[in-house]
Amino acid sequence: MVLTDEEKRMLAGEYAPGMQRAMNLLVKLGNSFDAEKLVPITYGHVSYDGCPEDFWNLITEGVNPTPHRVTTHPSYQPEAWKEWGLPLADQWIDEHERKLITLKRLGWLRTETCAEYLIGITPRKGDVVSMAGTCMQVANNSLFGARVDRMGALVAVAAAVCGRTPMMGLLLPKNRYASHLVELDDLDISDWTLSHYHCIGYYIGDKIPGFKPVVVNGFSPNLPFDFARALVISMPTSGAVTLAHIVGTTPEAPILEAALGNKKPENVIRVGKREITKTWERLNVWDDDIVEHVAFGCPHATISEIGRIASLLEGKIIKTSLLIGASIPVEALARHQGYADIIEKAGGHIVSVCPSIRNPFTLKDVAGEKQAKSAATNSARAAHYLATVGGVKVFFGTEEECINAAITGRWKGEIPQ
Amino acid sequence: MKIRAHTVSEGKAEGEAVVYNGPFSFMGDLDPATGTVRVPRHPLEGKSLASKVFVFTTGKGSGAGDTVAWKAKQKGTAPAAIICLESEPILSGAAIASEIPAVDRPEKNVFELIKTGDHVRVNATAGTIEVIEK
Repeated sequence: MVLTDEEKRMLAGEYAPGMQRAMNLLVKLGNSFDAEKLVPITYGHVSYDGCPEDFWNLITEGVNPTPHRVTTHPSYQPEAWKEWGLPLADQWIDEHERKLITLKRLGWLRTETCAEYLIGITPRKGDVVSMAGTCMQVANNSLFGARVDRMGALVAVAAAVCGRTPMMGLLLPKNRYASHLVELDDLDISDWTLSHYHCIGYYIGDKIPGFKPVVVNGFSPNLPFDFARALVISMPTSGAVTLAHIVGTTPEAPILEAALGNKKPENVIRVGKREITKTWERLNVWDDDIVEHVAFGCPHATISEIGRIASLLEGKIIKTSLLIGASIPVEALARHQGYADIIEKAGGHIVSVCPSIRNPFTLKDVAGEKQAKSAATNSARAAHYLATVGGVKVFFGTEEECINAAITGRWKGEIPQ
Repeated sequence: MKIRAHTVSEGKAEGEAVVYNGPFSFMGDLDPATGTVRVPRHPLEGKSLASKVFVFTTGKGSGAGDTVAWKAKQKGTAPAAIICLESEPILSGAAIASEIPAVDRPEKNVFELIKTGDHVRVNATAGTIEVIEK
């Protein structure tokens, strides 16, 4: 890999020990993928609470405030966890506070959301962005045409420290054409909810080998943003898809041929009613119908979602715990709008935390003996991680079915046939 | 028997092979506290990868995979070395950041030539795999 003089100085440790370690990691990664060089990032996105503290300290040691913008994934909120009566919340406070001191020193922004495009931070088509979080990677790559490669959370911190990332993978235009085509078979999508899009995204992700780009054909042009997002973010949960074009909707797929680069796809995957039924069944992992927790906002909720949830909860009292993950500005808007008040009066919470991988109600190392043993959600991504990381029973269904479960404490969801 | 392969993460290690003809994610698949595979109904369920030479196809899943690999390495529960058919950026970054020797693109069929339990030496820096049958 060819490095600039400045990059050579970073690698030689002339600036900071952390920067030297970060550069070393980026150079080794780039070399292993035959990258020709490093490229500057437009901005970087990291998960600071997701980063082991010893690594965090090593990679940021001595690093000055970065000239480029760096934003953050949902963090832990041990103070809020404590307010909700989760017994082990205290154990998380010190590490969180220590990391925050470094974060502020570096001048990195506490955006603390997995959906920055909802708060006005959007890449332009062609912008190179380094990101932690496969849901951020696939959304920014696919929906905005940014150049984002698949990347781990540790490497994302290294890229944010150096303001550079190896020129490899999906940063190269030739690698952005879809090799796999998804066609929809005899589907009536007129009554589809968000959950249906989550469900087929989960199915598709499982069918694509490795992280090959995929194109989905068959939807009407300009598929609503929330639906397009649900479709693409579910794919890297069951698999490793990092770029998913939707014909007529995403910027690199005005027509099918453009997304395929005028080549024949390696493989065609057909999705029909049978695939939806089977995937919906697979996402439901439970034996009895008792629901103890309901999770919304994976990825972080839009104001429309919160509005719909509020209207379903108006004047009701819920029997389960209920968490809606939303970014700070969207939460503020929900508060301004009166939605947050309705949700909180019903017994729910709306906060900028992660409601899936790091859902405090379903994690034993946060909730202790108060850990919910079952959770309902309308997100395939949340269903997957609540089951595999939280280890709880999971009900997957529509927004309305999840709200009914919150009110009654029982699951009455139906599998679409 | 020696097999040439491509360097992902430099270093040398040897140990007993665990062979799995499928993709792997450190996040979700591995319990870093014990080094065992914890996915229900997974062919490797309950099997330890700690200090083993782990042979599989490629990486998959969450971007936090490298944080789990790092924690396992600090605890001493990580695989000694990794051999896979074709790596991907999260898996490669995990191996490089955690200093787990790793190679990919082996020039021969490792699923035929390496069996679980074989003793295997990996020189990731030189790009060689050496199989010493049990």
